[in-house]
Amino acid sequence: MADKKTRKASTKKDEPAKIEVVLFKSDTCAFCPRAEEVVRRTIEDFGSDVFTLKVINVSENPEAAEEFGIFALPTVMIGGMSVTGIPEPDMLMKMVLGAKVMTNKKVVSK
Amino acid sequence: MSDHDIERVKTGIPGLDELIEGGFPRGDTILIAGKAGTGKSILATQFIYKGATEYNEPGVFVTLEEPPHLIKRNMIRFGMDLEKLVNEKKISIVDLSPSKEVTPVTIGEYPSFDLSGLEAIILNHVKKLGAKRVVLDTLSILAYKFRSRDILREEFFKLTANITRSGVTLLLTSEIPAQQGGLGVFDIEAFLASGVIVLYNEKISDTSRSRSIEVLKLRGSKHSSRIHSMRITDEGIRVWPGEISPGH
Repeated sequence: MADKKTRKASTKKDEPAKIEVVLFKSDTCAFCPRAEEVVRRTIEDFGSDVFTLKVINVSENPEAAEEFGIFALPTVMIGGMSVTGIPEPDMLMKMVLGAKVMTNKKVVSK
Repeated sequence: MSDHDIERVKTGIPGLDELIEGGFPRGDTILIAGKAGTGKSILATQFIYKGATEYNEPGVFVTLEEPPHLIKRNMIRFGMDLEKLVNEKKISIVDLSPSKEVTPVTIGEYPSFDLSGLEAIILNHVKKLGAKRVVLDTLSILAYKFRSRDILREEFFKLTANITRSGVTLLLTSEIPAQQGGLGVFDIEAFLASGVIVLYNEKISDTSRSRSIEVLKLRGSKHSSRIHSMRITDEGIRVWPGEISPGH
């Protein structure tokens, strides 16, 4: 049983699952351009091949903000966690690591 | 109507319009404040319901606290079939309650944000329905969701101005914490609104309480300065304009 689990986990390790980073912004939000800059730079530093960045402009797509209950902008969402305001790179790193742990747990428990 | 006449938006709540010269001034922001259990949400829902059913004014009910299925269930008791109005596209209930499963867990907050997301969500519904009335129930919940109160205070002014700009009449509910004066947790609630209505449910003896309503301010209106009796009946809230509350 344990062998099976390890084998499955290691197979997935060879083809790492990409972590989705979602940035919610709007046309009128003064802090959003800076937040987007921080998110893009952090992703590059971490290794951009590990991530997919999805930028949602709430002014064009308010339904997406409603679906996730996001009303303060900018908000960055990674793996079920979110941070509001211009994020510090350290916080984004923590969220990414948290999302990675969650992804690995899911793979192992499959 | 002369340029100086104020267009009134009838609440449809029996007895209330008589206290406020026929209704709220169109395009104003009105605050409904009261402690827990005083009937704020019922009054706000009635405003939306009556608008859609009696005055041909579509409405948007934004819930930040109670999930829509509970609101619908509770209001059926007062004869308000909200589901039917949603299906007929006369009202929409916007679910921003914490019970939404997909809402991410906030693990950090930096004092560099605005509420343009909330504004976009509300204005999207207003546009889709051609809404004339909006309720935000309840403002107080934002105090628990966000730490940066200074930002919230500033953002509330922008939010209310942008919603009412097109002539929408906006009702905000605010919970007055127990054992506290004022009109809410932010201390600026009274400044946000051009009208303030306070609901009470005061203990008048060891075995009974008395409900009442007070129009604390309503700019541009000669409103009653008394505290009037109010009851929650099978048809929702009813005010007795000629009856002064025994609790005051």
